[in-house]
Amino acid sequence: MNRGKYIVVTNNPLVWDKLKETHDVIYKEVSYEELLKEVRDRIHEGHLLLTHPLSGSVKPNETPYKSVLISVGKEEVDSRSLSIIESAIQACYKFEDRTGTYSERVLEDFQLIDWTLLESGMASADVW
Amino acid sequence: MRLEMGHIYIKDIQFASESKIENGILYVSEEAVKAVALEDEKLKSASFDIAKPGESVRITPVKDVIEPRVKVEGKGGIFPGVIAKVDTVGEGKTYALKGMAVVTAGKIVGFQEGIIDMTGPGADYTPFSKTLNLVMVCEPVDDIKPHDYEKAVRFAGFRVAAYIGELARNLTPDETKVYETCTIKEGMEKYPDLPRVAYVQMLQSQGLLHDTYVYGVDAKKIVPTIMSPTEIMDGAIVSGNCVSACDKNPTYVHLNNPVVHDMFEQHGKTFNFVCHIITNENVYLADKMRSSDWTAKLCKMLDLDGVIVSQEGFGNPDTDLIMNCKKIEAEGVKTVIITDEYAGRDGKSQSLADADPAADAVVTGGNANQVIILPKLDKVIGTLDYVTKIAGASEETLREDGSLEVELQVLTGATNETGFNKLSAR
Amino acid sequence: MAKLKVVHYINQFFAQIGGEEKADYPVELRAGEVVGPGLALTTNFKDEAEIVATIICGDSYFNENLESAKAEILAMVKEQAPDVFIAGPAFNAGRYGVACGTIAAAVQEELGIPSLTGMYVENPGADMFKNQVYMISTKNSAAGMRDAVTKMAPLAVKLGKGEAIGASAEEGYMPNGVRVNFFEKERGSQRAVNMLLKKLADKPFVTEFPMPDFDRVEPNPAVKDLAHAKIALVTSGGIVPKGNPDHIESSSASHYGEYDIAGVMDLTEETYETAHGGYDPVYANEDSDRVLPVDVLRDMEKEGIIGELHHLFYTTTGNGTAVASSKAFAAEFSAKLKADGVDAVILTST
Repeated sequence: MNRGKYIVVTNNPLVWDKLKETHDVIYKEVSYEELLKEVRDRIHEGHLLLTHPLSGSVKPNETPYKSVLISVGKEEVDSRSLSIIESAIQACYKFEDRTGTYSERVLEDFQLIDWTLLESGMASADVW
Repeated sequence: MRLEMGHIYIKDIQFASESKIENGILYVSEEAVKAVALEDEKLKSASFDIAKPGESVRITPVKDVIEPRVKVEGKGGIFPGVIAKVDTVGEGKTYALKGMAVVTAGKIVGFQEGIIDMTGPGADYTPFSKTLNLVMVCEPVDDIKPHDYEKAVRFAGFRVAAYIGELARNLTPDETKVYETCTIKEGMEKYPDLPRVAYVQMLQSQGLLHDTYVYGVDAKKIVPTIMSPTEIMDGAIVSGNCVSACDKNPTYVHLNNPVVHDMFEQHGKTFNFVCHIITNENVYLADKMRSSDWTAKLCKMLDLDGVIVSQEGFGNPDTDLIMNCKKIEAEGVKTVIITDEYAGRDGKSQSLADADPAADAVVTGGNANQVIILPKLDKVIGTLDYVTKIAGASEETLREDGSLEVELQVLTGATNETGFNKLSAR
Repeated sequence: MAKLKVVHYINQFFAQIGGEEKADYPVELRAGEVVGPGLALTTNFKDEAEIVATIICGDSYFNENLESAKAEILAMVKEQAPDVFIAGPAFNAGRYGVACGTIAAAVQEELGIPSLTGMYVENPGADMFKNQVYMISTKNSAAGMRDAVTKMAPLAVKLGKGEAIGASAEEGYMPNGVRVNFFEKERGSQRAVNMLLKKLADKPFVTEFPMPDFDRVEPNPAVKDLAHAKIALVTSGGIVPKGNPDHIESSSASHYGEYDIAGVMDLTEETYETAHGGYDPVYANEDSDRVLPVDVLRDMEKEGIIGELHHLFYTTTGNGTAVASSKAFAAEFSAKLKADGVDAVILTST
């Protein structure tokens, strides 16, 4: 059980399935950009960004999925977290949205890649 | 450390009953290389093909590009910790087969990219249109997990490259180059008046299809460390990534790292090339803090005057790049960074996801969002099935006349961030 | 193939009419004439283009009769229907540079005719117009004419033919915010080594990608006559009429609000509040004057310290709002402030 260490904010159903029993997960069925905005709103509440929102080389709007780790505890708004998430949201506009065009198989692959990126972040977070 | 690099120029590749290199021609026994590839039981089949510069051939989806090499003198072997034992490499004598590459292709995930065109406009952008390519397409056993498949293809490529390299063991090189570095103290005594510089290389390290290995160690799990610049020439760093093919370093680029080679040209003349520092690009922000603190600390401990920092990938690594640059500059070490840009199709968007005034010396590999039309070519090695699913492609990608409308992103090595190419942007 | 038709704009000085004493020279069209720098341009067109008319205008005349001069010139250009319009080069002549930029941008935008100009990078016209029209970077004096026309002529021909324009470094124009790919002579790693050598030796070097502007804004000179000045209030502190009628977001605002305070002497707990989610709102909600000091300015108005408090204020929440959004908001309401004759703005943050 890893509850209480960090919060996973995700729109990836694979991540939700894998972690819902053991972790604090906020699962929203929203777009990549909206997910980043969910994260941003929590940063404004004082959560810290723990993983980079542009993890992975699959670009925003090319993959529909994104999972981000934030801290459980709240502090003063962290300006570095805020600037990273804002830049990430800006980056969404550079890429054409093509997330509606994929087959189920491809979507599953996108979910898997997002999961492995998150997993690498969790591996680092779990050390603490 | 002193490494003698023997270059053997390959002028042609042909399939034959026996594998050998004669008069610059590589003869490949298809049966023999197939057996080498299929040593891994996770692979069901492997097919081989040859693509030559100028031919109407498209290779896709490309996973890795590897230059065959063989270690003929000195400790260790090519690809330490991966194919050879983990002995430290980078000294003695190594032969490389120049003008050719082993290219691995095969679909691991459904949106995979990586195109090499051997002719046409795409050929101007990918550096691997200029090499004779021995292409291997691997099919996995049924129901394999993408992780296992990725690893199987990665290793099969190294095994085949090592097998081909081995054919050169008893040849006489066409040309020999010597790369020699000093120890810290030697360097200070030998070049007391020259500025001390190093190369800081950021390695892609984020997860499946986003990984790099150093002596077999997953780069996510390293802390920044120093290497002799000759180690990469023996395959100390290998690629495990291919998503967003334009700015990922295939193993070929690691072996021929252009920053290392161009810095060696100046070593002992205009500066003292002290060492190669490697660091990573993890997704976890605290890892970024630690790694960038450490690169800056190493630069300080080594009393460096200047560094070149190279990046690998988009987005997440922009943050590492800026953190490295800012912290190294703050130590009083003059820094030049190499990156590429995502400025949008119209070139008007903000190119990087992070920025700092300390990054005042930037070399760019170009805008990866630039649209390019790739005409239909006569032959496809691999498959075009996934070409509409790749980065920078769209539903309209495959046009009626068979041409592809894509962004430079999809071309293997097109906007490489170690400065492998001449492409730039202003 | 027929030669491309070019209309060329120059000032009184380059038309050899006279210096500052002739700067009030009105707009003149010389159809079929090639004047001054036009001769050098013609040579460099290499028979691909020809100047069909030269328009001459004194620098003072242009700047003092901006709208009418512009309209006159546009009408002349329209009648000549050239394939491309060239203004200058202006080198370091400030008013001439602004005129060249203004007219080239107007011809391009209003007539749809591709235009270019050229000037020294520190000419005030450069910053004003380099993102609107192609602007060749020239030396700081007319001694750089040869160099300037060898870049302007080929670019004009390309523009006239509608050919793809290369990167700024290739064509010689000032970077205009649009990133264009091209092939360098050396590979990137070699360029990095060269750049490092220069940086180590403290020699000048040119970055291939300038970091985005961090917008250090130089303060304007002090207001000289405060007693007659119209002062406006602007805030990123999120002060809004009670109930936040336009729903300005508590963070990462997507818009700003414009509210009338005519007759409002004091912001009270009942009438105003903050929409900002990034600081403790208790004290701002209790008395919004703490963020947007209407009460104090009303006092100053009464005491004659300031001329007048503008009846509109502009507000948004700065909390995490993207720089690009903030810039867009400000660009819009600054124009309104100017149009309303506001002399100075007090911008409060939190």
